[in-house]
Amino acid sequence: MPSATKKLGIYVHVPFCRGKCEYCDFYSLGGGKNRDAMDRYLKAVTAHIRETAPLAPHYEVDTVYFGGGTPSFFGAEGLIRVLDEVVRGFHMAKSPEITLEANPDSATMQTLSRLGRSGFNRISIGVQSDDDEMLRKLGRPHDYKQATAAIANARRAGFENVSVDLMYGLPNQSLDRWRETLRTVAALSPDHVSCYALKVEEGTRLWEYREYANFPDDDTQADMYLAAEGILRQNGLKQYEISNFARPGYESRHNLKYWLGGEYLGFGPSAASDFGGKRFTIARDLEGYIRGVSEQGVVLSECETIPVRERAGEYLMLRLRTTHGIEQAEYEKTFLLPFAPLEKLMQKFEKAEMAEKTESGRWRLTPKGFLVSNSVIVELLETQQRTTPLAKKR
Amino acid sequence: MTDLSKIRNFSIIAHIDHGKSTLADRLLEECKTVDLREMEDQILDSMELERERGITIKARAVRLDYEADDGQKYVLNLIDTPGHVDFNYEVSRSLQACEGAVLVVDASQGIEAQTLANTYLAIDAGLEVLPVINKIDLPAARPQETKQEIEDVIGLPAMDAPEISAKNGIGIRSVLEMIVRDVPAPQGDENAPLQALIFDSQYDSYRGVIVYMRVKNGFVEPGMDVRMMATGAQYKVVECGYLSPKGMIPAERLSAGEVGYLTASIKTVSDTRVGDTVTGVENPASEPLPGYKAVQPMVFSGIYPADGSKYGDLRDALEKLRLNDASMTYVQENSIALGFGFRCGFLGLLHMEIIMERLEREYNLDLITTAPNVVYHITKTNGEMLEVYTPLNYPDPAEIQLAEEPYVKANVIVPQEYVGSVMELCQQRRGEFKDMTYLDPTRVELHYDMPLNEIIYDFFDALKSRTRGYASLDYELSGYRPSKLVKLDILLGGEMIDALSFILFSDNAYARARKICERLKEHIPRQMFEIPVQAAIGGKIIARETIKAFRKDVLAKCYGGDITRKKKLLEKQKEGKKRMRSFGTVSVPSEAFMAVLKLDDD
Repeated sequence: MPSATKKLGIYVHVPFCRGKCEYCDFYSLGGGKNRDAMDRYLKAVTAHIRETAPLAPHYEVDTVYFGGGTPSFFGAEGLIRVLDEVVRGFHMAKSPEITLEANPDSATMQTLSRLGRSGFNRISIGVQSDDDEMLRKLGRPHDYKQATAAIANARRAGFENVSVDLMYGLPNQSLDRWRETLRTVAALSPDHVSCYALKVEEGTRLWEYREYANFPDDDTQADMYLAAEGILRQNGLKQYEISNFARPGYESRHNLKYWLGGEYLGFGPSAASDFGGKRFTIARDLEGYIRGVSEQGVVLSECETIPVRERAGEYLMLRLRTTHGIEQAEYEKTFLLPFAPLEKLMQKFEKAEMAEKTESGRWRLTPKGFLVSNSVIVELLETQQRTTPLAKKR
Repeated sequence: MTDLSKIRNFSIIAHIDHGKSTLADRLLEECKTVDLREMEDQILDSMELERERGITIKARAVRLDYEADDGQKYVLNLIDTPGHVDFNYEVSRSLQACEGAVLVVDASQGIEAQTLANTYLAIDAGLEVLPVINKIDLPAARPQETKQEIEDVIGLPAMDAPEISAKNGIGIRSVLEMIVRDVPAPQGDENAPLQALIFDSQYDSYRGVIVYMRVKNGFVEPGMDVRMMATGAQYKVVECGYLSPKGMIPAERLSAGEVGYLTASIKTVSDTRVGDTVTGVENPASEPLPGYKAVQPMVFSGIYPADGSKYGDLRDALEKLRLNDASMTYVQENSIALGFGFRCGFLGLLHMEIIMERLEREYNLDLITTAPNVVYHITKTNGEMLEVYTPLNYPDPAEIQLAEEPYVKANVIVPQEYVGSVMELCQQRRGEFKDMTYLDPTRVELHYDMPLNEIIYDFFDALKSRTRGYASLDYELSGYRPSKLVKLDILLGGEMIDALSFILFSDNAYARARKICERLKEHIPRQMFEIPVQAAIGGKIIARETIKAFRKDVLAKCYGGDITRKKKLLEKQKEGKKRMRSFGTVSVPSEAFMAVLKLDDD
């Protein structure tokens, strides 16, 4: 047996929140603590992990990520029980990255220190803004003071990697105000920052009144994006993905799996997996999930085997989100497709200062390129579609 | 065979919305031979069937059995006419198949442009024109004034005209009695060689073309060899008969005076042109019935598939449409910008819109249409004469000695208070005022000579918006006149897009060029790179706009659970781009081509 060196990420979706935010379209149940549902969820997700782990004997888990929902709201005890189940069932790599998402209002000293002692070493805190008025309007259940306290708690609890989520493109937000937010938050010295442009998704409350919300226009949002890159860079946080910045060495190992083609298994309703060549997603239905685990099997909303050709498209689409970028030999070896036509396009984007080639010969997008990355990727995909496979060499 | 003296062949003519179709429906009901509900069911059934077969419905000639007050049974043939100025020739042929026309006039609206145009067509065709005053139950109805107006303006006796409400079934029988009494019985010699006038034809995928005709002399029956005198096409008759409200009823023979259909496994309607004469191969008529002309398309436009690979589909669709519409023409055209497509000829803009809609709806095609143009006559310096159907073939200005454009006689009927603004509009569109007449104290008919080119774009829309919908328009081609013409070219991202070029009157060039650049700027979405939009005449730029590059087109989040969805999103964006045409680095949506035509009137 070759050594168990294939790496695996574990994602656990915790679908509970204190309340639903105005913009949120993740699968979560707001409306306060429902102990009964939480207990049944816990039973189901641990059972699910227990049943699944034996199916991945040749893998070792090097990242575990608790997302939501609001894992911190779910509470330390439950999270620890789930993590224990993972550790018990899977082979674990040395020094795995174990992340939880937290909201400031539930990231109490008590909760975080218990988690820190149990192996959690990375925390992603939903700060979103330093403006209490904006937080209130977004339906966030906390103010900025609680957010700074949460960061301090995380440090004291021993988290090595503290990440902060911010949002821009918010109603009534100006470029100057956003710059101020960035500077204020950078002064707290997070190890990692994610900056997301607010996207108004259908089905959210925000969608209903989007016409009246006074969002900054696209040009302003583009400036906000570039401002984030600049200010965070000055503060030692380097961009490594479209929306992610980190001190060197503090990039999210788990999230990088999504973009670099790593394998991961998801647990809990709405969780996605990419494992053994298949991508599948569990249905967004807590009760269905609980029933599925105890009865006939977990209901998937999607399951597809991705053909190589499509993987080649995903390589472009996902890798170009990162500063890791794409590279000829890697591409040609993996997909047996010619890189030259893509190279030509990348040169065109380079002229427009949207792309650059690193000294090691990798192509990646610049911040200006990231801003229009959809169009860049679509052009690359169109070109890729017209290429024919290389003859197999030797 | 029916006794000629018991046959009445008639049409109903009217201005649009004056109640022509409603009256036709009422006449059908009144002449029911089966009970009402059953009849409606049957009509519905046959419509559904036809819809399934994918052909356009509606009987173009219906035979009604009517027992008149005199106790006699009559056969009434109601021949439908298309209702738009684009189809004037078709209307005139349908009228030729009749001896009388029922003129429906709305009691509240009075005489309108098409009332007049259609009445004159009917009078020209030698028909007995019988006015009927409709919608008398409306509060605004003024039947007496309307009758007076008919007498004054048209010169028809109208005081005894039936006052009816087709909508509410009032006075329907009086119309039928009038038809029996006043429409002359047909004349014709059954023993003479066959002469039958084609007034319509329709393609059916099972029977081939169904030819609608009026037998003027002789007779036709199944098994007989017939020839279309103008096209020379020859066929053996499979079936003949007439249309009842119940559907097609085969008959042993159709004789002089009768109206009906024939089928003969005819594969295309272009063999059976409206206005042509059907005669027998044995014992042919010595000459055709008078008045045939091959209808000439007046408006030409380039039609291209939005997706270049659909060229074959477009060709097939046009072929099929042409089976059913001989007045549309198409020839292959090749544009540098759009690739292969067709230059199509239409009777007018409405005709063009109908065809486009059918192509898009029935054949599921995404199309790009270029600016419609008229046919220009160019005399080159070397003496050569050209008919220019497309800007692509417009010669170099240096080679042009004389350019001519088609003119029409346009009649506009408008309430008196709008005369000023209509005259202003006509003036702007290079109209030459001829004269004006008061139809009554409140309504005026204006006569203009105008370049056809000025009418085909948005003249009618502009007219309606200036008159709050009250104006009506009617026009006919009057001939060619010398003109100052130029070809305007459009450049996107520095590249000339030949499909956007068009020919126009030179004095209008600057204003139009500016407006088109503005329009294109509005309709071409911002793209990754800045796009200059320029208009030029012979290489000289006369207008410019710039489409700024967009700066934000990015998915902020893409984690494990998002990948499938985001992949689909990009796929959609890719498909969206496919629906646009790309020229160099510029992608242009199909609507942009059409948008440049709809220029505001200001």
